[in-house]
Amino acid sequence: MDRGQLIETMQEILGPEGVIHEREQLRTYECDGLMNYRVIPDLVVLPESAEQVQQIVQTCYDEGIPFVARGSGTGLSGGALPVESGVLIVLTRMRRILEVDIPNGRVVVEPGVINIWVSQEVADEGYYYAPDPASQIVSSIGGNLAENSGGVHCLKYGFTTNHVMGAEVVLADGSVVHIGGGKAPDAPGYELLGAFVGSEGTLGIATKITLRILRKPEAVRTLLAAFKDTEEAGGAVSGIIGGGIVPAAIEMMDALTIEAVEKQVSPGFPEAGAILIVELDGPEAEVANQFDQVIKVCEENDASEIRIAEDDEERALFWKGRKAAFGAMGSISNDYYVQDGVVPRTELGAVLKKIADLSEEYDLRVANVFHAGDGNLHPLVLYDNDTPGEADKAEELAGEIVFACLEHGGSLTGEHGIGRDKMKYMPQMFTADDMDVMQLLRCAFDPHRICNPGKIFPTPRLCGERPGPFHMHPVQKAGLAENF
Amino acid sequence: MTERRNPEGTTGEEAMAGAIGAGSPEDIGQSTHAASDSIQQTVGAARPESGSYMFPAFDAHHPPDKDLIDDCVHCGFCLPTCPTYVLFGEEMDSPRGRIYLMNKGLTEEPMNDEMVRHWDLCLGCMACVTACPSGVQYDKLIESTRQQVERRYERRADDKVFREMIFQFFPYPNRLRAVAAPMRLYQRFGIGDKLRRAGIMQRIPARMRAMEALLPDLPKEEKIPDLTGPLGEMRRRVGVLTGCVQRVFFSPVNAATVRVLAAEGCEVVAPKQGCCGALSTHAGREEESLDFARKTIETFDDLNLDNVIVNAAGCGSTMKEYGYLLRDDPEYAERAKAFSAKVRDVSEFLQELGPVAERNPLPVTAAYHDACHLAHAQGIRRQPRQTLKQIPGMDVKEIREAEICCGSAGIYNMIEPEPAAELGERKANNILKTGAQIIVTSNPGCMLQIQSSLKKMGRDGLPMAHPVEVLDASLRGDPVETLLDK
Amino acid sequence: MQTQNVPTEELQGIVGEGHVREATAEDAVDGVGPSLVVEPATIEETSEVMKLASREGLAVSPCGGGTKMGLGNPPREVDLILSTARMDQIIEHVPGDQIVRAQAGVRLEDLQEKLAEADQMLGVDPPEEGATIGGIVAANSSGPRRLRYGTVRDLIIGIKVVLADGTVAKAGGKVVKNVAGYDLSKLFTGSLGTLGVIAEANFRLHPIRETARTVFLEVDDHNKIPDVAQELTHSSFSQFVLDALEMRWERDRGVIAALFEGIEPAVVAQSSRAVEVLGSHGETRVLGEDDGEAFWEHFARRPWAAGDVGLKIGAPPADLAAVLDSIVGAAERADAEIRLSGHAGTGVTFAGFSGDEDGLVEIVEEVREIRVRRGGSVVVQEAPLAVKERLDAWGSSGDYLGLTRRVKEKFDPGYIMNPGRFLGGI
Repeated sequence: MDRGQLIETMQEILGPEGVIHEREQLRTYECDGLMNYRVIPDLVVLPESAEQVQQIVQTCYDEGIPFVARGSGTGLSGGALPVESGVLIVLTRMRRILEVDIPNGRVVVEPGVINIWVSQEVADEGYYYAPDPASQIVSSIGGNLAENSGGVHCLKYGFTTNHVMGAEVVLADGSVVHIGGGKAPDAPGYELLGAFVGSEGTLGIATKITLRILRKPEAVRTLLAAFKDTEEAGGAVSGIIGGGIVPAAIEMMDALTIEAVEKQVSPGFPEAGAILIVELDGPEAEVANQFDQVIKVCEENDASEIRIAEDDEERALFWKGRKAAFGAMGSISNDYYVQDGVVPRTELGAVLKKIADLSEEYDLRVANVFHAGDGNLHPLVLYDNDTPGEADKAEELAGEIVFACLEHGGSLTGEHGIGRDKMKYMPQMFTADDMDVMQLLRCAFDPHRICNPGKIFPTPRLCGERPGPFHMHPVQKAGLAENF
Repeated sequence: MTERRNPEGTTGEEAMAGAIGAGSPEDIGQSTHAASDSIQQTVGAARPESGSYMFPAFDAHHPPDKDLIDDCVHCGFCLPTCPTYVLFGEEMDSPRGRIYLMNKGLTEEPMNDEMVRHWDLCLGCMACVTACPSGVQYDKLIESTRQQVERRYERRADDKVFREMIFQFFPYPNRLRAVAAPMRLYQRFGIGDKLRRAGIMQRIPARMRAMEALLPDLPKEEKIPDLTGPLGEMRRRVGVLTGCVQRVFFSPVNAATVRVLAAEGCEVVAPKQGCCGALSTHAGREEESLDFARKTIETFDDLNLDNVIVNAAGCGSTMKEYGYLLRDDPEYAERAKAFSAKVRDVSEFLQELGPVAERNPLPVTAAYHDACHLAHAQGIRRQPRQTLKQIPGMDVKEIREAEICCGSAGIYNMIEPEPAAELGERKANNILKTGAQIIVTSNPGCMLQIQSSLKKMGRDGLPMAHPVEVLDASLRGDPVETLLDK
Repeated sequence: MQTQNVPTEELQGIVGEGHVREATAEDAVDGVGPSLVVEPATIEETSEVMKLASREGLAVSPCGGGTKMGLGNPPREVDLILSTARMDQIIEHVPGDQIVRAQAGVRLEDLQEKLAEADQMLGVDPPEEGATIGGIVAANSSGPRRLRYGTVRDLIIGIKVVLADGTVAKAGGKVVKNVAGYDLSKLFTGSLGTLGVIAEANFRLHPIRETARTVFLEVDDHNKIPDVAQELTHSSFSQFVLDALEMRWERDRGVIAALFEGIEPAVVAQSSRAVEVLGSHGETRVLGEDDGEAFWEHFARRPWAAGDVGLKIGAPPADLAAVLDSIVGAAERADAEIRLSGHAGTGVTFAGFSGDEDGLVEIVEEVREIRVRRGGSVVVQEAPLAVKERLDAWGSSGDYLGLTRRVKEKFDPGYIMNPGRFLGGI
């Protein structure tokens, strides 16, 4: 099938308004939220229903054409980077909330639904959808599913994977499966849904997703505490969590971040070496009691100032400052590189020191803003693209930072994913066997590797027969099933 | 933020909304399905185009600024506030997509139908400017791109004729008054016949129908005096822009503006004046817009004014930009800057000045609609709400999807009627959901658009007013009915 | 029973002479007797054992505490029982990070005891005594507190496995937040030893709550249970406030119990509010921490004994009324005695039946038929062998069976891991 025929076939499935094939238009899809890698897709298709997705994938499978699924295109690891001579399946027109089931605490959505719409849809009933990545106002549930998105509240409430209860998935061969129990718990069989969530679009395309919603907490209290440096703030974090408190969120910003945020959105943060924002939620009595404990711990760790949000407005202001941090870097640096790494909480101090050393060694500023509760760091390496060589230097430094995370028992990524960007680092965290075994899963879902190829794993595994004696499946032996 | 609705969402949501400039997450696009009809105007491209091709896309006269383009980090936070993205759900019709195209135009791609189509489809509402966490100045980017398009891209003959026609009428109150007579527009001017004879009728009917539906019956014009003295002690001496569309269709707004300003202690000058150039600026008609700008500066400059007061959002935002627009004009650059510094939206001015006149109660529930060129382009959200809330008895309701444009957008609803109609209906529906008795907004374009959308839906009974009209009624002690029976 | 030529000496060479023993009748899995029981002490030994088994085509059944060897269908064959008994080390517990790494053979009780020294715990509480970490992961066992903490899949953050061919691989890590690579920890959760041997697992931990209150209500009509459950889950006590919401029904009497854990003032406030909510349904009682512990020990037990048929029914939580109706109705028609328990907050119901063989088979078929229509699953967790042979333990599995088989085939192409016990004859 040549390109013209492919366009025609896709137009038959989707109508002319669902197929993008002009070069200039295709170019707007050549990267997602990460601009470092760009590939012009052969074709972009915009399905409006699961049936259309199935037909698109079936066509790709029959013709051996690779495809990549994409939601809002906000990913920061190049997970939705198109594949050359491939089809980009953009799910932004599949944005219906299909069902709200309050008695079972479930909402069923299409993949293009924006994260925050789910909470809005059930807000009047007193419910919300817990995972709240910083991009929740724009990122889609399908994309959240692919990346297993976190958010500031995931320390207490868990990640996307803990809130997705079922999915209808179009597999690479065009077949449709329903994995996870959906409304019913504990579906028998392998935890295919758990494996699918966070697979970065390499195992299939979710076309219908069942989410769990939670009752809004009875009380929410937020404070902001200023410290001399990140070490003292880190001491407070350890004190809070060591005291048996599970805060809804606990976020840290260093001096450089505070400076940038002040310049951009002026939340009126105190001048300090580090700031913590701590939020507790839950039943009134519990929150009140533990909030006093948090204040005590901050005082014990020599907080220079503690501000308690007196109302929703002040609380929103704290969060505004925190959430604007990435974008605000533009006010103190021309360019910046967002890193995403994880360290065990107890190693935070050591790793922050290492980052400071690296910053000095490379002569580049690094701003730190992170989810302190779960050790998820977002160092922002500041550089200037116009200074020759500085971009490369920044990337190298960012790489050194994740290696430091690994050395201290952490991970390459806490929420942005491996995607295209961190493929090269995978061997630092996993052995060849680890990655081979992971790819067995890929081989089961997508033996021909047409579903988002060239992501996560630096060396693709062939899915052919493995060496060793061949055993016919007993079901086959018994004549109960054909070869599968 | 305090002025906004009671936060229902969790703190995280509120903060997110705050981070992109919205008061509440409900202010951004809430779409749950793609547009059906207008989608044909983009990917499906059910629009005849000229086949014009120009490489490189831009010439050296103010191409979109590479530095400004580079500010965009492609994060996508603009997507949910962009009206065309909300309608179509695809990248080329989003702010970051359009910026991407501009960037490609700088180096790699030609200016052709595809590129121009997506720039044309931009409403210029600037919701993305509010939303952008990196401070990208999309307003400047789209303005310079549009100027390039107008200069370099060869539009189809019918398109050209239609656009020309708009600019032959709208900036000129006298001509506009003549056009707006209660007759079918294209019959009267025989434009339809001429075009049909020329065989270039394809897109005109939809546009003509849209224009016709938009323009209400011509009301009796309320004249305002050249000079009005202050009530009590003089606090400021101000000039007022009477506008084009405002003067013809909403002259009571101008009259109310003068009365309110006078009541608050201003001496009000209303010189004979022309168009401020807003429509031309937003359409990329550079020369024409600069001419209007210079003339407007001339009109007000020697009157020894503290401020120039504008009651139309689109005009105000352009006049505040004169300094930038005329930056290359050695003769006017400085004057324009000084002029722009004096320009105030009427609500902005009133809040700056502080209320002195006594407000009489107006027990009424009003839905306040943010005009894009007020909220996004000028950052004025709090002041008009405050102006209303200072009136005893007023209950001000927020409209869901407040950040999303109503589809008026200058001349957009005439040249891109399909998406504009869908946006208008969407806005009208959201307004109706508030249950308000009256719609209040600060821009004549929005008023026309919302009115015609409501009319199409058979709900044209809902009265509309400018915030100064409401305040005027309160100051005069008029009963609520005078507002509601308008 | 099939006996392969098992190279005993070679196995002894790998794990040491004293750690390979002849199997006895007690080692039989649903009547299928293995030849040998092998007890490797390390991952390396496990890998060597698996390489050998793979080479010789020996069927292997991994085994921890042996509490769930009756789960699933009777195996087609078992040559080796691979016991994780000697892999019983807690490798790393970092209280400050709230994580633990443990070998598969660590018993849950032992782990909890150790974690309690730092006022921490693993948030799983399955009722079986003596279960090991590996077994709990493999069987995805859960208990009442799953309402708050989720199940194993929500708590596991890393895993080390040995595949059928001896390949050792890990996934995840020891940090709570981590999205690098595929989440094989979850894939292996509930895989019942059919994908490989679980050698190590890492978990996130939670602080032990200061104190607890239990509020319970007795009812004499099973129809009341779903109403009360719905009322509680949709009041301000929902997930993350309520720690458990459980039911029990035997001999025409039922009890619904809610557990609140946390700090004293909070549990006092919540339990008294729960009393208010439940008050309209009948007389409620509140238990303190110590009484509550004894109460839950009994209350959380599975409602069946050896020789009974025990079903685990997963259904939408709001469909509990239909679940109870179908069970009670089916039991009446088959003239069987029933006992029920369940996680009323999450939609898991356990049903134990005693009666004659034909009647028991009929009950399962009838309840399953209703679930096929209304959504959910019915898994036979306990049954006399004679009943097991007439039923599939897992029931219908939806449209993912083909995919499930492909996964199995990739991980264990020789079908030597627990053959036949899993879904679809895997």
